[in-house]
Amino acid sequence: MAQQGDETRRNGLAIALLLPIVLVNVGVFLYPVLNLLSTSFKEALPGGGIGTEFTWANWSTLVQDRFYMEALLRSVLMSLLITFLTLLCSYPIALYLHRSSGQWRTFLLVLVVSPLLTSAVVRTYGWVAVLADTGLIKNGLEQIGITLPFRLVYNMTGVVIGLTEILMPYMILALLAGFGRLDPRCEEAALTLGARPIQAFWRVVLPLTAPGIALGCLLCFVLAVSSFITPRILGGGRVFLLATEIYDQAIVTLNWPAAGTLSILVLVVFGLSLILYTRALRAFD
Amino acid sequence: MLKWVKTAAMAATGAMLAISSASAETVVNFAGYTGLFQDLYTKAVIEPFMKQNPDIKVVYFTPGNSAAILGALRAQKNAPQLDVAMMDITLAKAGTDEGLFAPIDETVSPHVADLYPMAKIPGVNAVGMTFDSLVLVYDKMVVKEKPDSWRALWDPAVEGKVALHATPDILGVALTIMLEKMAGGSDYNKNLDKGIEEMMTLAPHVLTWDPKPDLWGMIMAQQAAMGVGYNARAQVFADQPGSVLAASIPKEGTLFQINAVALVEDAPNAEAAKKFIDYMLSPEAQKAFTEAMFYAPTNSKAQVSPEALERTSAGQMENVLNVDWLAIAEIRDQVTQEWRRRVIPLSR
Repeated sequence: MAQQGDETRRNGLAIALLLPIVLVNVGVFLYPVLNLLSTSFKEALPGGGIGTEFTWANWSTLVQDRFYMEALLRSVLMSLLITFLTLLCSYPIALYLHRSSGQWRTFLLVLVVSPLLTSAVVRTYGWVAVLADTGLIKNGLEQIGITLPFRLVYNMTGVVIGLTEILMPYMILALLAGFGRLDPRCEEAALTLGARPIQAFWRVVLPLTAPGIALGCLLCFVLAVSSFITPRILGGGRVFLLATEIYDQAIVTLNWPAAGTLSILVLVVFGLSLILYTRALRAFD
Repeated sequence: MLKWVKTAAMAATGAMLAISSASAETVVNFAGYTGLFQDLYTKAVIEPFMKQNPDIKVVYFTPGNSAAILGALRAQKNAPQLDVAMMDITLAKAGTDEGLFAPIDETVSPHVADLYPMAKIPGVNAVGMTFDSLVLVYDKMVVKEKPDSWRALWDPAVEGKVALHATPDILGVALTIMLEKMAGGSDYNKNLDKGIEEMMTLAPHVLTWDPKPDLWGMIMAQQAAMGVGYNARAQVFADQPGSVLAASIPKEGTLFQINAVALVEDAPNAEAAKKFIDYMLSPEAQKAFTEAMFYAPTNSKAQVSPEALERTSAGQMENVLNVDWLAIAEIRDQVTQEWRRRVIPLSR
């Protein structure tokens, strides 16, 4: 009896503690999202007005219009590519960081985190200076007689390079968080038992770090799909993505129903990636 | 407990006193563009206005571009906080249709009678406060001779260095209108097919369709060599020491972008707001701002210095296309679609 009372009290306490954040989320997340959903079923009037009648028009345009479907596909594929490149660049760094120790480790960790202390806008403009036609890379290559026949910025290439660098700190931190399970003794055991280093990596290190990889990839994918400033600055108006399209519709054309529809679509993409992530985690266990 | 109540009551009285003494000064909340425009408008118009009306204080808010300003007004439709707002004329029409603005006629400001006809558009509860014209903006280090035709955009000297603000930005629409007229289109207010065809031949020369921070900034930084932009801003940047930027109004003519000022419906400080609008439209304020930033005045009585007038399109009204922005607003979406599907892909 007393135990039951205890439990009720504990549950009550848990609810009381959770209540503020739940209320905040309902107010500032759930309500706006529902609002967005209802906007997506309203008619867009010329000049930016929003009608009151219920309509499927926004959704049917979205499905029928090749432009939007291409933007969706481009967003997803580009984000997958960026996630993969980020993982490729970050994994060795994270592994090295995990294995280093003492002040050296602290120093490296600060180096990894420091880009996050600078705004993404500033870093993106930095990439413009590096990648532009008169920028560091092209100029440098021309000094030694190589002329690149293509542009490095104001197109998809620029966006991929810029976002990969910008997302690397997130990936490294997520990987480090997941490396807790990586016991150096497992690797040593594999090596002692005659595995070649590559085998030890492939069959021991990689599977043990898989949860961290999954977390990092989820984080980077979501950030890449929703990133908007970097594609805006490095894309040169050529790379039509869901995030930039939402901005255009909401801020420039003032077509809020269309912007709402696209935003819900992005939420669906995020939902699907979350499902994939939980499936992957279960598979690892 | 009693002590606490006493203290609270005293604090409340104090606060009320503070409020009543502050309300001797009426505040007009004005939403306008940010950056250069804000700096120069504050100096040339708002500060002199406040000097003349010491009991009125104008507070300048900067929600962003025209669309963002309209968005802010929409969000506070039921309880307006802003009194006066400026925005592009096409968005002023949208705001009017949504009932966001009170009419501005001669009872609000007698100066309305002196405005150019282009500044008074029927069906819009807002009047033109500035005219800006479309110009070629270029880097005079790359383009040595002042270009006199819009065709200069196709010039091999600027190949791959052209920066354009693409549609839905008004600059993109305006360029399409200009090209439509040059290609002999029959009615540029209704159909821009020929302009789109012209744009398709220009597309391969374009470096970026989304210049950042903007066209003027990219030319100043010598990252782009030519583009199509607004005159006022170009004139101010051209005056900066060591500037490489120059502007030219080509012989084929230009067109006006109209910024309109609107009085918010149910504005909390309507009387002071009307006074402010009256001053904005006065020949005095119009002259001061034209001389500060080279927007053409909308008040025909403004006595602008010849040097400043020379640098706007006000001196050559016959060269200005008679664009019906409200008709263009109807086809803007369609033009944007054409740009995205047929024009921009040609530049990859």
